[in-house]
Amino acid sequence: MLKELKVSKIKIITILSCLLLAFFILVLITCVVTHTTLPALMTSLASREIQFAIKLSLTTAAISTILCIAISIPAAYALARYDFFGKNVINTLMDVPLALPPLVAGVGLLILFGTTSFGKTLAETGLVFVFTPLGIIIAQFFVNVPFMFRILRGTFQGINPRYEHVAETLGCTEAQAFWRVTLPMSKNGLMAGSVITWSKGIGEFGAALMVAGATRMKTETLPISLYLNMSCGELNLAIASATILIIISLVSLFFFERYGGFARVF
Amino acid sequence: MIRIENISKDLGEFFLRDVTLDINEGEYFVILGPTGAGKTILLETIAGIYRPDSGRILLSDRDVTEVPPRERSIGMVYQDYILFPFLTVAENIGFGLKSRKIGKGEIKRKVDELEVLLDIAHLAHRYPATLSGGEQQKVAIARAIAIEPRVLLLDEPLSALDSRTRVYLREELKRVKEEFGITMVHVTHDQTEALVLADRIAVMMQGRIMQVGTPHEVFNKPLNNDLADFVGVENILSGVVRNNEDGVAEIEIADIGSNIFAVSEYHAGDAVKVFLRPEEIILSGHAGDSTARNDIKGRINELQDIGPLTRVKLDSGIIALITKQSRESIGLQIGTEVYATFKATSVHVVRG
Repeated sequence: MLKELKVSKIKIITILSCLLLAFFILVLITCVVTHTTLPALMTSLASREIQFAIKLSLTTAAISTILCIAISIPAAYALARYDFFGKNVINTLMDVPLALPPLVAGVGLLILFGTTSFGKTLAETGLVFVFTPLGIIIAQFFVNVPFMFRILRGTFQGINPRYEHVAETLGCTEAQAFWRVTLPMSKNGLMAGSVITWSKGIGEFGAALMVAGATRMKTETLPISLYLNMSCGELNLAIASATILIIISLVSLFFFERYGGFARVF
Repeated sequence: MIRIENISKDLGEFFLRDVTLDINEGEYFVILGPTGAGKTILLETIAGIYRPDSGRILLSDRDVTEVPPRERSIGMVYQDYILFPFLTVAENIGFGLKSRKIGKGEIKRKVDELEVLLDIAHLAHRYPATLSGGEQQKVAIARAIAIEPRVLLLDEPLSALDSRTRVYLREELKRVKEEFGITMVHVTHDQTEALVLADRIAVMMQGRIMQVGTPHEVFNKPLNNDLADFVGVENILSGVVRNNEDGVAEIEIADIGSNIFAVSEYHAGDAVKVFLRPEEIILSGHAGDSTARNDIKGRINELQDIGPLTRVKLDSGIIALITKQSRESIGLQIGTEVYATFKATSVHVVRG
């Protein structure tokens, strides 16, 4: 009897905590999207500035996601399949950007591309990262590559290497076996990784702010636009950015849950 | 056909130590060994998936040690099928043909033919996940032989299947060998499988080949204690040869308190091990029921039913396997006095 009573007490407390948390999240989102009226929101969305921010965010996030895929596929494959000297250290290093505050990552990128001879050489060839949209891309890439990397590493680890062995006996080179077998089998992981990298890229603020600065109509992504408009009291424009960011997050979450059920980021 | 010369490979937990083997063209060759013996690495090394640390591999007299798998003309079938899950049955079977840049019409003709041969034509458009284990393994076999390999490597191909499917697929494998004349190298831990399928067997333990021979040689004439124990020789006895007349040795076995006659070249005074398979022993109620040289009296200590057979342990420690029918006809019970009879040729003797 006493035990039953105790159990039900725990049940009530834990369920209440759940409800409280869910309510908190819901209230927060509702507060943002209902802060202005729909006509005001539509006007803001149609403004040149917000249109610019949407386009810049979508493009930079798409490019940085492609970069993340391009480097993560071979890197994650190497760590999933091969044993080599320093593998553990590299595995740990790959996770550092996850733990690093984005502002610190931004400072690092700013110093690397702004002050070192490496950065200067790149700038001379026309690749200027400091205070340009390129800086946004590199910031999104650096901060979000661990997400893509970890999902793909888990995906490759989950694929029995025998699939490649069989493909090789059936006439494939190692590269063909990867292309014709491993990659199609990684479809869900790639999908989940791309969605999360892209949506995190769209929301990237701290590191991008440091490297690319916050220049209106130049390096103004959605989060930067939100920040700039909040700072100068343009509440309607700020809310418009926030609403789009919320929609993108929710849609991404849906896709991630749908395709990335097995792929775990942490 | 396949010549493996002094191959060694170390993969940590699994390894090969100085493996040498000759497998003949068109032979059904079984590599038999306990789990962890290194059988799969040996197969994968033959396929070219692993490069040996030392030694070399020749296929039809050509050194292929450095040749990649795709150029070895080898088909591979695994226990867990390893069908490509995103391709249909027909696409799986045609995978290797597509790699060989063969025309679509030709691929389809070949795939259809194999599907009919293995009775899987009705599954052509299904995905592997929707098939039973037996069906999946048939697809894997079809996919491997589609490229017309000279050698088919089978890694425990029947181990994940239920016993009925296993018996059926065993026959299918024999048929594939007959039909295509492919050299088959089949790895298993299952002795019945080895006995039924093999032209020759290599027994592998701890990364080494311990014995190569016909099924009869491997199961009846194991070279040492470990091998005898592994192939199910339940009577392993130590003794000393007392005399040898015309190639028949009389061996004194202290453990059972009597002498055993065996066809053997060992001489008086030699310490030996005596191996006797339990199914070679006939139990009867009276002495002298048969012409066999050995006739040892004893009482039944233990009776254990194992499927259609009964395992009988006598007070002397001798173990016999008899059918249920003969158990009933002589009315065996614990305590019954019986004579264990076996031929001198059924006993295998090695140096002790």
